[in-house]
Amino acid sequence: MSGEKKKWVGSSYKRKEDMRLLTGRGTFMDDILLPNMKHAAILRSPYAHAKILDVDISEALKAPGVIGVVTGEDVKKASKPYPCGVTIPTKYYTCAVDKVRFVGEPVAVVVADNRYLAEDALDLIEVDYDPLEAVVDIEKAIEPDAPVLHENIGSNIYNHRFFKYGTDWDTLCQEADEVVKWKFNFPKYAGSPIETYGVIASYSSFENSYVVYNNYQGPFVNHALTAMALGIPENKMRWIIPTDIGGGFGTKTGIYPYCALMSIVAKKTGVTVKWIEDRREHLLASATCTDRVTYIEAAVRKDGKILGLKDKAMDTTGGYIRPPEPGCAYRSTGNHTGAYDIRNLDREVYIVATNKGLTAPLRGYGCQELYFSTERITDMAAAKLGIDPAEIRFKNFVQPEQMPYTTATGGYYDVGNYPAAFQKCLDIVEYDKMREYQKKARAEGRLVGIGLASVVDPSVTNIAYVAIGKTIEERKNERDKSGSGEAAIVKVDPLGGITVICSTNPQGQGHETVISQIIADEFGVHPDEVVVDSVLDSSDRLYSITTGSFSSRFASSGTTAIVRASRQCIEKAKKIAAHLMKIKVEDVVMEEGKFFAKDKPEKAIKLRHIAGAAHWNQYDLPEGIDAGLFGTSLWTMPTSRPPDGKDRVNSSNTYGFVAEAIVVEVDQETGEITFLKWASVHDAGTILNPQIVRGQVLGSIVQAIGGSMYEEQAYDEHGQCLTASFADYLCPTAMEMPKVDVDHFESPSVLTALGSKGAGEGSSMSVPPAIGNAIADALAPLGVVVDELPLSPSKIWHMIDEAKAKTN
Amino acid sequence: MKIEGTYTFKAPQQKVWETFNSVEHLQEALPGCEELIETEPGKFDVFLKIGISAVKGKYKGKFEIADPNPPNSYKLIGQGKGLPGYVKGEAVISMSQEGEDTILSYDGDVQVGGLLAGIGQRMIGGISKMMIGQFFKSMDKVL
Repeated sequence: MSGEKKKWVGSSYKRKEDMRLLTGRGTFMDDILLPNMKHAAILRSPYAHAKILDVDISEALKAPGVIGVVTGEDVKKASKPYPCGVTIPTKYYTCAVDKVRFVGEPVAVVVADNRYLAEDALDLIEVDYDPLEAVVDIEKAIEPDAPVLHENIGSNIYNHRFFKYGTDWDTLCQEADEVVKWKFNFPKYAGSPIETYGVIASYSSFENSYVVYNNYQGPFVNHALTAMALGIPENKMRWIIPTDIGGGFGTKTGIYPYCALMSIVAKKTGVTVKWIEDRREHLLASATCTDRVTYIEAAVRKDGKILGLKDKAMDTTGGYIRPPEPGCAYRSTGNHTGAYDIRNLDREVYIVATNKGLTAPLRGYGCQELYFSTERITDMAAAKLGIDPAEIRFKNFVQPEQMPYTTATGGYYDVGNYPAAFQKCLDIVEYDKMREYQKKARAEGRLVGIGLASVVDPSVTNIAYVAIGKTIEERKNERDKSGSGEAAIVKVDPLGGITVICSTNPQGQGHETVISQIIADEFGVHPDEVVVDSVLDSSDRLYSITTGSFSSRFASSGTTAIVRASRQCIEKAKKIAAHLMKIKVEDVVMEEGKFFAKDKPEKAIKLRHIAGAAHWNQYDLPEGIDAGLFGTSLWTMPTSRPPDGKDRVNSSNTYGFVAEAIVVEVDQETGEITFLKWASVHDAGTILNPQIVRGQVLGSIVQAIGGSMYEEQAYDEHGQCLTASFADYLCPTAMEMPKVDVDHFESPSVLTALGSKGAGEGSSMSVPPAIGNAIADALAPLGVVVDELPLSPSKIWHMIDEAKAKTN
Repeated sequence: MKIEGTYTFKAPQQKVWETFNSVEHLQEALPGCEELIETEPGKFDVFLKIGISAVKGKYKGKFEIADPNPPNSYKLIGQGKGLPGYVKGEAVISMSQEGEDTILSYDGDVQVGGLLAGIGQRMIGGISKMMIGQFFKSMDKVL
């Protein structure tokens, strides 16, 4: 421990990145120019489901400026299907082979002198399709007569599993006073980062190796899987991720197939190939969250105690299943029962093939799908029992004295005070006063509703969760998988400057700023002096399967790796200081960047002098100490264990808490929703930089408003995507952002070095159910049931209209 | 997508029927038609160039006139594709004499795919109405 008082961490130190980003001087994928670089355009399928009878590229090859064309046949020869965590034989290639299974699936790639010529040549490729019947509805896809997407699987079921935790469901129902059940639909929506995917690939025939610049956000397990798909050793494929990525939100975990595809293209054409995805391609074929149908039942006692849950979740990953799916269904295993002390759970999971675009984790990964059903059924149970929705939550919360609490499904909640944090949220929104207000409004015939949600926000996923897709028996034949490691290198140069290299390649989260704050506290320097290098290069940076920026891991495991590397570096500095001052190491004290004997603070040595000695006079170092001054860490959380023999897994590592309270008014005539009041209280542990956390919270709220009210990748019954432009795919803007009172309830994690937990995703999970609950509450007097999203004004208007028609 | 409507021609039914079955007149009246080739009786290859924003591009397609019941009705079956996507559909065209006029009614189902669906679907109803309107107006001139 360096021991000095914290100074910079916890302050709203201004973001170091902003000057370059706001003046347009960031380094993004399209800013990278390499010698002799050529440009690729991708021909995409207009059909949702069709056999490819022939691809004629002869005319395209003759077009001006065209260097080469790659088709599915080439891809089939040059690669293998991606490995995936399910037992069925999946066949996901990076380009359609023999068949297309969703609109927008790559069919061929043209490389030309520039993008214009490449696009023109796409027009000359003749593809002969034999259209097949498409299926887009999850439940229809598993009916026996549904068209089958993958003949080698024989059905549209990618994965199907049953889970039982605690008491048998039928016994539980006998103990219960009520069993409340409903079906919910959760939509398919996107992350829509400002910067789309981008890849520059080149191939060296001398080393048989690839260099691939790309804006992948992690986890780097897909570096290994891409090498496996290409059939090459991992060290023959160097990935370089630039300093700046224009947003990820999980969407950029889905870029890796294009890294493989452009590698194949570069090898075949013999040139360096650049591909920058356009917005239409992005909306059509990059990645969205996983849409889900959930049948859920809650067994409750009269007093509101939830005895158990039973649910059947049916996810669709679209035309193919690819890593990290089937993760959407399993990532939330450990926190399935959320913030409540529920010991009994009966689960069934289906992962289904449909002729729709593919999926990737999206901010909140799996939890918005989960909590939309659990938090809505909680409100339905409260309504059935005649209890207030706040009261039923208080009745079921895991209590602070139960911490650390292990959930029925294996999640390990280290700290938290859910009742107190939830109460804080109710106080801010003035819950009781709002209920009075609602009464008056209803008496006037106005539709005012109050929606609550209280959820556990898991972060730093433990890769072990993916293994839950296989049965206990199947897992016995495989090696265990576990971990959540994040890496950092802290080095002091010969003139005393500190540089930090981190594995959490950021996409705008302000890692340079927060790392500088941490280093400033650890070393007693000013944050402006610290240099953070966030380029990720697989050939010379420290990383692992689990590293990258996803699952809000920076604040928890990323910062801990930085603190550990710093302290390792400081320990070494102390040894050198002791040697130089000819005292014992135990007697060396470090304060504000100075090292001294504890009884002689006036005779201090500066860090830069110690670094100088370590670099400039390597002969005179203590025995057994290497030259130079640096520390390294690839720290995995000790709670990241493999699943146990009862399907329990600690699927994440830190668990925060979010309480949401939203007051809405619905306009009966137009279906328009107005937010009258909104309180959002977060427990993200220690707050490292309040300004950045506030930005993250508001960002997750606005993104969740999108998924709850505006955004949906919509398809017609033939599998045609109806939302391939921002004119049809609506994202909320500043105009749609309500005033939100954000506050915090800090319970520092005991597992991380600074007590921080993830903060970037919380409201992505709690806002969809809270908006659903609020609108349901507003429409309750009309007898309308809210069971799906997005709740657009037109949908609400139809719901009101139907309800009125029924009562008349 | 359903497409239906009627159009009144100030001409006898037999004449309307003949005009609608003339390659020359069809080629003249089809909006954006660059070439219309009758490959075999009742079957045509068509090349279109359309300049309307969302559906802009060159298309080639085939259509055939099926179940002819002169001069009362026939079925139009067609499909076409271009870089912006594909269109396929079927429509029943019926004609009836009312006084000196001929009422033509059409009732069809059109499917669009690719970019046409992703970008254009919202506008395609309007665009097809406009193109059908243009087509009938041109035919009206011929008559």
